Amino acid sequence: MSPRILVVDDDPALAEMIGIVLRADGFEPHFCSDGSAAVDAFRNSAPDLVLLDLMLPGLDGLQVCQALRAESGVPIIMLTAKGDSVDVVAGLEAGADDYVSKPFDPKELVARIRTRLRPSAEPTADVLTVGDLRVDVAAHEVRRGDVAIALTPLEFELLLALASKPQQVFTREMLLEQVWGYHYKADTRLVNVHVQRLRAKVEHDPDAPRIVTTVRGVGYRAGTSS
Amino acid sequence: MPSRSTRLRAAAARAWLGRRGWAPRVVQAWRSSLELRTVALTVLLAGVGVSIIGTSISVSIGANLYDQRRDQVQSESLRATLLAQDIFDSATATEDADQVELDSLQNEAQSAILASTSSPGGTSIAILRTPGQTTSQTIQDIASPDFPADRITDDLREQVAGDTDNLALQPVTLERAEGGEVPGLAVGSTLQVPAAGQYELYLVYDLSDAQATLALMQRTLAIGSLALVVLIAVITYVVVRLVVGPVRIAAETSQEIAAGDLDRRIPEKGQDVVATLGRSFNGMADAMQKQIVQLAELSRVQQRFVSDVSHELRTPLTTIRLAGDVLYDQRGSFGPTAERTTELLHAQVERFEVLLADLLEISRFDAGAVELDVESTRVVGLVDDVVAELEPLAADVGSTVTVDARGGYLEVEVDPRRLRRVLRNLLGNAIEHGEGRPIEVEVDSDAEAVAVAVRDHGVGMRPGDVDRVFDRFWRADPSRRRTIGGTGLGLAISLEDATLHGGRLEVWSRLGEGSRFVVTLPRTAGAATTSAPLPVAPRAVADDPAAAAGEPWAGTTPESMSAGPTTSPTTVPVLTTGHRGAPGPSDEPAAAGRPSTGEAGRG
Repeated sequence: MSPRILVVDDDPALAEMIGIVLRADGFEPHFCSDGSAAVDAFRNSAPDLVLLDLMLPGLDGLQVCQALRAESGVPIIMLTAKGDSVDVVAGLEAGADDYVSKPFDPKELVARIRTRLRPSAEPTADVLTVGDLRVDVAAHEVRRGDVAIALTPLEFELLLALASKPQQVFTREMLLEQVWGYHYKADTRLVNVHVQRLRAKVEHDPDAPRIVTTVRGVGYRAGTSS
Repeated sequence: MPSRSTRLRAAAARAWLGRRGWAPRVVQAWRSSLELRTVALTVLLAGVGVSIIGTSISVSIGANLYDQRRDQVQSESLRATLLAQDIFDSATATEDADQVELDSLQNEAQSAILASTSSPGGTSIAILRTPGQTTSQTIQDIASPDFPADRITDDLREQVAGDTDNLALQPVTLERAEGGEVPGLAVGSTLQVPAAGQYELYLVYDLSDAQATLALMQRTLAIGSLALVVLIAVITYVVVRLVVGPVRIAAETSQEIAAGDLDRRIPEKGQDVVATLGRSFNGMADAMQKQIVQLAELSRVQQRFVSDVSHELRTPLTTIRLAGDVLYDQRGSFGPTAERTTELLHAQVERFEVLLADLLEISRFDAGAVELDVESTRVVGLVDDVVAELEPLAADVGSTVTVDARGGYLEVEVDPRRLRRVLRNLLGNAIEHGEGRPIEVEVDSDAEAVAVAVRDHGVGMRPGDVDRVFDRFWRADPSRRRTIGGTGLGLAISLEDATLHGGRLEVWSRLGEGSRFVVTLPRTAGAATTSAPLPVAPRAVADDPAAAAGEPWAGTTPESMSAGPTTSPTTVPVLTTGHRGAPGPSDEPAAAGRPSTGEAGRG
């Protein structure tokens, strides 16, 4: 069963071309060209990954991303025409897991898709504690007391990576490799924004982080259990 | 802990106030205040003039007073002498005047004299016998009780005795009973006493009243002059303020405008020169404000355009790219013509992509729509990454790349994406032009800055070409094949990236020996630095004056290049906006190699 990819882009030629490329690599593309129809298309096609263009008619790409995130933790890769930092960060903060700027190398796009679709490695422990959170690895759940916190798969992997080795400081490059699966020099902004997103969800006070702490000039580390 | 500059300033202030005292403060006040200078000058000149006039008035009046008193004294004395003489003469009726008679005559004469003198301040009188006479009778010398006998000099007595027809005058100083001295006048005349010979009559007048008058007058004059000078000073100050006031307002207003408050204007009142100044100033401010607003709007428009163009061009280009790639992957199944066509298409699409990216980047710089994404970065790590990335390309041409990092291990605040781009560009150029010879990369830092140098031993450049190497689309040797590829914008973009940080990008080159590019960035982005952790000229050249005396880069002298490793590097004159060189002739097709200005997304 080939992985299903939902391609949300308003340019028909590009969408078709992406479809050709995806099919050639064994994926099953579905298409949507309007932002306001994207969420419905998502529900109907139940894809394994979404390719989302930012400039869309109807609902803006960022809004679509937020809407999808509200429903699901499906991997979302943004397609951006502008490589400006502001736009990239905005997309990542809205819920995207990664971004690819146009024009892109089709092989690179496929590689990223595959990495995002790869199942995560076998967990080493069943339950981890970090701060006052309880991370149930097998169930992919994070709880604070009785309250479950919804994290996207990437956010979960990020927290897991940090929590598995509480003493270890992870550089951004290490996290890119371990959590995102990128073995080359990818954009470290991915890590920055995802840490912020994670903090916004799990920290009592995101501005004074205790669970995901910054080690200045080096990277990040899981805070000590309270 | 107070910063170094604060401590230095405190020490300077202490030294300034303590040891040197008030003098520097006065000098500072003098230099900075037009009012002070004008008033001081006016007061000085007025003071001088007034003192000259006052002194001459005082002297003149004093002399006049003195003459007046002297004439009065003289006529009085003459009268007194004649009076006394008459008295003595009237008694020569009898031939033998006896002593008693003579004495009574003397008393009579004395009283008459005293009654006749009306000088204020008192007169003392003495009748003294002229020495050296022998007569049948004598009368005793008499003198009033307060007669200052010691003031009558021998010269006066001689003069008096010798010249019997005239009065002799002599100014004397008299002692006052309560201390102090006053001026006086001594008058001497001769009396012929019957049967007793010649006697000298001395009258000593006290002139202290004249003195007092003079003193009073002088005091009044002095006070009046001082008041006049003060008044002049005040008037001058008021007038100067009246004139300087508008100037000060103009200065303050222009300062506010320069600081960014474009709406400030000078109040315009009246028709005079000052009002004209105000009007023209305001007119100028209006024109400048309009221009600035216009330019800002233009910049916004251009920014928006760049942004829109970026989006519009990239989507169809992506489709073309994808299409080209798909065909490229299947080219084996085409005929030879189609296969070759597909190859060319693939290569050119790539080239177009890179060119577009560079063009958009340059126009972002031009529109001022660029921002630094500063991160704590370990420069040595960045250098190692870039070297590893381009190692295969270097190996292809046979160049070895060595990294000598003496500094740059601690983090600095730079934009790693941009620095990476600069390093890729410099290293790519070194590989391209290095003729297969070794390439050396140096990293060093100091308290203020960090620098990376890329040295190749390839073709090098002529002195005239070195100036133009940062021009857009400029190539030193247009006929040279590009093996790695490049858009012609790489160095222009690198220069902008370096300048954006507040740093520099500089070059040294010699034909046949290679080139050395040095990028210097301040430790904290934005703070422009003049520090130079690495010299632009290679050390081997810098230490060897003979080698340096060859073809120096235009704009430097051989001496400055051989001044040693710590020479401050010669800089490219146009830094901030880059200069637009004439586009070079277009190039041959690039082979399938990755050029040096990549974007972050490409990894």
